[in-house]
Parts: sequence; structure tokens; C-alpha cells
Amino acid sequence: MVSKVLVANRGEIACRILRACNEAGLASVAIYAENDASSMFIELASEAVQLNGDTIASTYLDQQQILSIATSTGADAIHPGFGFLSERADFARAVGQAGLQWIGPSPEAIEQMGDKMTARITMRAAGVPVIPGEEIEHEDEADALAAIESASHRVGYPMLLKASSGGGGKGMRAVHSPSELIEAAKGARREAIAAFGDGRVYVERLLTGSKHVEIQVLADRHGRTIHLGERECSVQRRHQKVFEEAPCATMTPELREAMGQAAVSAAEAVDYEGAGTVEFLLAPTGEFFFLEMNTRIQVEHPVTELITGVDLVREQLRIAAGEPMSCGPLMIRGHAIEVRLYAEDASNNFLPAIGPLAVFRPPEGPGVRLDTGVREGDDVTPNYDPMLAKLIVWAPSRTEALERMRRALDEFVVLGTTTNLRFLRELCDEEEVTSGNTDTTTIDRLWPNGWQPSVPRGIEDAALMVAAVSESAGLHRQAFSTSSEEGPISPFATLNRRFP
Amino acid sequence: MHHQFRSPEGPIEVTVAKQGQVWYLGDLEATLMLDGRLRLVNPNGQVMFAHAAKVGDVWWVHCQGHTFNLERIEAGATDSDDGGGLTAPMPGKVLEVLVSVGQNVTAGTTLMILEAMKMEHRIVAATDGLVRAVNFSAGDQVEQGVALLALDES
Repeated sequence: MVSKVLVANRGEIACRILRACNEAGLASVAIYAENDASSMFIELASEAVQLNGDTIASTYLDQQQILSIATSTGADAIHPGFGFLSERADFARAVGQAGLQWIGPSPEAIEQMGDKMTARITMRAAGVPVIPGEEIEHEDEADALAAIESASHRVGYPMLLKASSGGGGKGMRAVHSPSELIEAAKGARREAIAAFGDGRVYVERLLTGSKHVEIQVLADRHGRTIHLGERECSVQRRHQKVFEEAPCATMTPELREAMGQAAVSAAEAVDYEGAGTVEFLLAPTGEFFFLEMNTRIQVEHPVTELITGVDLVREQLRIAAGEPMSCGPLMIRGHAIEVRLYAEDASNNFLPAIGPLAVFRPPEGPGVRLDTGVREGDDVTPNYDPMLAKLIVWAPSRTEALERMRRALDEFVVLGTTTNLRFLRELCDEEEVTSGNTDTTTIDRLWPNGWQPSVPRGIEDAALMVAAVSESAGLHRQAFSTSSEEGPISPFATLNRRFP
Repeated sequence: MHHQFRSPEGPIEVTVAKQGQVWYLGDLEATLMLDGRLRLVNPNGQVMFAHAAKVGDVWWVHCQGHTFNLERIEAGATDSDDGGGLTAPMPGKVLEVLVSVGQNVTAGTTLMILEAMKMEHRIVAATDGLVRAVNFSAGDQVEQGVALLALDES
């Protein structure tokens, strides 16, 4: 039984989960750090408790504090979202030991998949193909660097250094020549220690020209493990996904079935429960290799929801409550695309940006979905991830989905903080994207020297005029002014309903 | 009315005129709408709707899918410091200082590594030069815009 869910996360994904709880009629608890006290997700929960502490480690990563809030509020389940504690087996175990339901797979499954090196070994044993590379178990910096150096001769360049506890591009470095190796390895280790408290880094061959294709899986306690087709997330920058779609433009039914079956085998190999994603690299030859399994809901889950009609978060709640999943046979309809709106300056090496969201007007209309954790008036701070929103569109065909995405991006207005909106918009016009021939090096190849917007002179003139007119007309002094409403509090300002 | 906005190529002078409710700039016409947007008409009769908001001295403008931030130069203000661009692009923490005072560096050399928003950022020398000052050491927190190092161009 699940009746009250504590959401151990913040921002956009906390909003997504809390809304699912509200729809399912479940009570919910939000937890928040002091600097999130006015964030949107808090409003969506039936109750909210502030975390003590002023670092991420002492708030959203503080397992004991979160567990004691769960107990004191009477929550009977914990949804970890993604990031933070979502792939921490020790937390999943502690949740179970406290008598609460963990909304996700078993701690053992998280351990087997969460440690990327163990996952490679497990998958090899299950007959799922893995990328050529070497596991390196040394924790000590000098030993690890020596082992990486030695492995580099056998793996060959270009290669990828990856944190064994990694994810989201953190603790990962592409290395193209031996001269870069040691600095890259040190950087990857440092980032991995800071982000995950584990500096172990392993070596993989960098497979260029490949597509990043991942399979969504769902498994319940009633013996059913299914796949929900693929997502393609090849368009990445520094291993951070930017543009995601489903289905993959070059997928065939036979390949989908083969990859889907491999993903189901991967999930079954670890007795998986709940929603998970098996990531593969798909080589131009049609061969595919296991990358990793994410044992949680994923950022880009909405594209799968839109083409399959399955509410993945709702299924997570159902499965955690011990019920069978509700979805029938796999049906794929139309095409969905997601782009990630980041507070960053795409024209300046994608440097994260901060500032107020003085205007935040998302697009509307048919086939448009916005998943966000911010609203107009919020401040973008350096405290958390710079992702502001996910804009997702659905249309009957890929061509129409791209047309819809262009329209939606043109309508999207964000003022006060620099975003990658224009970058995303121009991406939708690139031939590789329109033809569906993207791979993981697309962005680096399209803009080897960095991206710059191309602005028609007429539009720039219009913008200068808007600024000049707005200044002259004193628009900045009128904005948000409600001064005429102010005055002494009237004793007659009452509400009085009389019913006969 | 006359305004100046900063641009990488130098100040841009903009003079707009008003007649009745309509503003004019060259052959562009603009009217204010009740919701705070501007309605622009160009000589081809094309209508554009623009959003504007001011944050500090900067006018943020959205028009036809493009976003601009136009810093207004107050009358009498002078162009100030630039400092060679070795300033903190973000608030963050200094992870590592890779050079010391008196060291000669070539363009492209990584001088310092910062951490902001959980990612590493490298501060790179734009030109060949001599390191004149290193203002922070590893572990220091830095505010956005502070000068991290000083480099004398050679």
C-alpha cells in the first residue's frame, strides 16, 4: 500500500512527481532547502517540510534527515526522482529498513547497475554486448593514474574516461591524445569525487559516429518486464543531452525488437522493478553496445509517454504499491521531441547563466507540453542545475514534430536570464537534425568553434527600437506597480456570506 | 528621444520619435499594448509583437524568436574597466591555480580552474603574456565579475 509519498527531490522533476501523486489521489510531502523556500514544487505538495542545512550534502543528500521527515509526516513511500539520492543503493536500503516503500528497484539492482564497472561485468555475463574497454578498481590517485595510463595503450585513442559512479556527464572526459591523458584523468577524478564521493574512473573506447539510443523498461512484481520502445538522445554537448526524440528516426521494427529484448534481459538479470532505462550506443553498422542502465525515472521520459500513451510516473506509483502495471501491448503513435531549456550562454561556450526570470512565457497550443519547476518572477541561482524547463512536442510525424518545435520555440519568451532558446531553435533547422542523421558528435561538428546566433538586421533594429521606446515610455517604472491599490487598511474590507 | 546602447562594436545611438500614440524609428512604427507588449509594423506591413523587461540597466527584448539584452548607457557614464577578461564568469569556487606571478604564458594556457554549478570551468589566457597578479588561491569562493588574475600582454 502506498498512501503518502515523500518526494526527495526539487525543481522540475519534483513538480512532475507531485502532480502524479495529486492525480492518483495520494497525499504528498515535499522537502526543501532554505534557498528553495519559494520554489514552485512546494506548492504542489499536500505538505512541505524545510530541511536544515545550507549545502546540498546537508539537505537533499542528507539521508537521515529525509528519513526522519518521512517518519514524522507519516509518509509510507519515498520517490527519489532523478539525480540526488535516486541511484544510491544505501538510501534505498535505509528506506526499506525504516519500513517505507522505495519507489524504484531493489538496492541490489541499483548496486549492480549504478556502479558502471559492475554493470559492465553483469551485462557481459547476461550476454548483452558492452563497449570495448577496461575496468580500473584503484582508489588511490597515483595507482589509478598509472593503471589508466597502462590501459590507454590497450584500449587506444580516442577514448573516454568515465567515473564508475558517474552520470549526467560529470566525471567524464574524452581523450584524443596521450598528452591530454593525465590532466583529463585528474579532472575526471576530481569531478567524480566532488559529485559522487567516489573517484574511480574506467576507460572505454570512444565510438565516434554512433547514435545514443536508449530503451525504456517497466517491470512489476507480477512477473511482467516490458520495453516501451526507444528514445534517441544523440544530440549532446559535453555528454549532456540537449535534444531527445522518440522514436529514433532510423529505427527499424527488427532492430527495435532486438534492442528491446536486450534491455528486457538486462532488467531481468538484476530482478528489476519499476521504471528504468537501458542506454546503448548504436553504431552505423547496426551493432549496439550497452552503455549503462539508469535505475530511475529519466529526464527525457516524456517523449516515451507521448508516443506510447503510458504515464510512466503513474506506473511507478502503481508498481511500488504492488499492483500490476496498467499498460497493454506496446503501441507507438506519432513522433515526440524534447529540448532542454538551460540558463546558459550558448554563444559564450555554454557558460551557465543566472538572473531573474523577469518574463517567462512558455508556448501553448496543440501538442505542446512543458515540464518545469520555475515560473515568472523566480531567480535563477548558481545553487542548482541550470536546467529551467523541458519543452516537449508531439505530432503525427517527425517532420510535423520539428515544425511544431520550431513554432513553440519561437513563441517561448524568457527575459532577464540568458538561455539556450535560440541555439535550440537553430538546431531544429540543421540538416543533420531534419534528416535524422544525428550522432553524438553532431554539435561539435556543426559548431567546432562555438555557436553564434545569426540575427537578421531587421530584427535587431526592431529590438533596438523596442528598448528605446520602452525606456522613453517609462515601461520599467510602470511594471508591477499596484501603488494605486495601496492605502490604509479599511475596516470595511470584509467578506460576509449570508445564507438563508 | 535619444538613447545609447552598448554593443561589442561600440555604442549604438537610437533616436525615436512619437506622434499621437505611435512611435517612429526610420520606417518602423510601434504602439504600446495594454499588456505591456509592443506592436511593431515594418514598411512591408509585417506585424511583430515584442516583449520587453528591464533588469538593472539592461533592456531584455524578445522579438520574432530572438532575444536581446541591450545595456543602456546612462548619459554621462564613461566606459570603464575591462581588465583583460580574466574575471569570474560565474560565482563559484577556485579549484586549482595553475600559474604563479611572474610566469610567462602562451595564449590558450589554462590559468585557473573554477567550479560553478557542479561543473568545472577553465580560465584561459586569451593572449601570450606575463602573469602580474593571482588574486585567489584554491578553495576560495569568488563572486561573479571579480578579477581572478592579471596578465600583461607580451
